[in-house]
Amino acid sequence: MESSVSQIWPIGGGKGGTGKSFITGSLGFMLAKQGYKTLLIDVDLGAANLHTIAGVPNPSKCISDFINKEVATLGETVVPTPVPNLFLISGAMNNLDIANLAHEQKMKVLRGVAKLSYDYILLDLGAGTSFNTIDFFMISDEGIFVTTPEPTSIENIYRLIRSVYFRKVRQVLKTYAFKALADEAERRNPRATVSNPALLLQIVGELDPEKSVLLRQVLESFRFKLVLNQFRKQDNYNIGTLICKIIEKHLALRIRHIGNISFDDRVHNAVCKKRPFLELYPYTQTALDLMECCRMLLPGKEACPSFQKVVE
Amino acid sequence: MILQTRTMKPFTEQNYYEVLEVSPDELPLGIRLAYKKSFELYQENSIASYSFFSEEERQEILSRIEQAYLTLINPETRKEYDQSLIASGLLEEERTFRDRTKKPIAIYNFQKTLLDSPAAARRSGELKLRIEQNPVIRDLLARDILGGSDLQKLRTVLDVTLEAIAEKTNIRIDILRAIETENLDLFPPLVYLKGFLRSYIRYLGLDERVVLDAYLKKLGLH
Ligand SMILES: Nc1ncnc2c1ncn2[C@@H]1O[C@H](COP(=O)(O)OP(=O)(O)OP(=O)(O)O)[C@@H](O)[C@H]1O
Ligand SMILES: [Mg+2]
Repeated sequence: MESSVSQIWPIGGGKGGTGKSFITGSLGFMLAKQGYKTLLIDVDLGAANLHTIAGVPNPSKCISDFINKEVATLGETVVPTPVPNLFLISGAMNNLDIANLAHEQKMKVLRGVAKLSYDYILLDLGAGTSFNTIDFFMISDEGIFVTTPEPTSIENIYRLIRSVYFRKVRQVLKTYAFKALADEAERRNPRATVSNPALLLQIVGELDPEKSVLLRQVLESFRFKLVLNQFRKQDNYNIGTLICKIIEKHLALRIRHIGNISFDDRVHNAVCKKRPFLELYPYTQTALDLMECCRMLLPGKEACPSFQKVVE
Repeated sequence: MILQTRTMKPFTEQNYYEVLEVSPDELPLGIRLAYKKSFELYQENSIASYSFFSEEERQEILSRIEQAYLTLINPETRKEYDQSLIASGLLEEERTFRDRTKKPIAIYNFQKTLLDSPAAARRSGELKLRIEQNPVIRDLLARDILGGSDLQKLRTVLDVTLEAIAEKTNIRIDILRAIETENLDLFPPLVYLKGFLRSYIRYLGLDERVVLDAYLKKLGLH
């Protein structure tokens, strides 16, 4: 696939309603405010609603125009939002069921995204671990996972990360080798099977040391981020860090906790008013949390998470 | 980041120090704390590891943690284990616990890396780790109300001097001192005070929201 000039951030999380769209919209808003030309793409094709959060209740064009060949390029489906510098490709108005895109259509969209030229492109992914979600996640190493601090939501995050992980392993090893690997893992340890990543890496190492080096490099090139949303005061503040620790230790994937976003009932008000939360309530804790997250995502901040500008 | 390269190894290949995430020269107290922390992370009721492991995997991990702890907490078995790591080239003699008294190791000397920072990344990573690991800090952070002396305690445990904060934040040291002694006469107007407090708390790498609220509560300003 062509590599894109844009920074692409896929934003996903296994569970519905965790706040993926809210966070995508808010990050887009902040990036645009800082002068970055930013594009939001709604790829939650079954249940698109990013347009509402982005303040474009009736987008004139949408992604299916491109999929259905009504327009020639994905760029033609971009619509402006009320926020300068912030643009949108809506997933709304699908008259046909494209929640599950055919492989060819998906590749077409992925190629289309790679051709776009923005500072930042944010992809709002659907809930669940469907092929769609994972394919879009694989478009970049900079995926952002959104979860709430609840076990049900965390469970889905783990499921999603594992799916991405195994997809990558499959990609590197190609299908036939993966099958051989799965069989070997199964033979050695019938109860763990391939769902045990450590065993999998170990077997690759034995069967094909060269591949195993390559595989590790590829896995280490991920720069995942984790956001805890709808965070309440009584929640364990370290939970995000702990989740990242589990993933790094047991999947050997890099992932960084970039912040906790406080729960605030007024998010609901903002959604109802179809206005950016950050514009309506810039002085709330939730707004501060979002800004901090955005700061953590921008280049140069990686090295130094808790030592931002010390003096206001 | 040091921490990351160390942890980018599958669990099964990690040595006991890596399993407990302590450095090979860690004191017994640190090992005990690390054990407690790991145990909490992997035990059955942990939300953070919820659903990640099968019951068997979880038991396996817990028993490996246990094994690591029992080996490292006993000076005899620890020495033996260190010898085996040294023999297989996985550990350098000078980095072990016993040699620590002879030759302090610079990278774990926090104060040194704090002031002038070619290694800002490591610095904040270590701060975070310290904050998570230290029971005194955890206890203090769990409180609703924090006085000036509590802030001072946090700062001391984190091994940060007022001078260092003053230098990096440009806040006058007498104001920093006033904050820690709750000397209201020296306080600047509230908006500035809040700003100063935020800088102070952030410098320590603590959670701004929790600590600021708790301190303002103590002063009855909340
Ligand atoms: N920090 C927050 N505080 C309070 N409410 C929130 C917060 N974040 C999101 N919400 C609420 O949660 C609901 C779901 O948010 P959102 O639509 O962004 O989730 P989603 O993950 O995109 O869901 P879906 O999987 O259905 O696409 C919204 O009604 C929103 O008001
Ligand atoms: Mg959504």
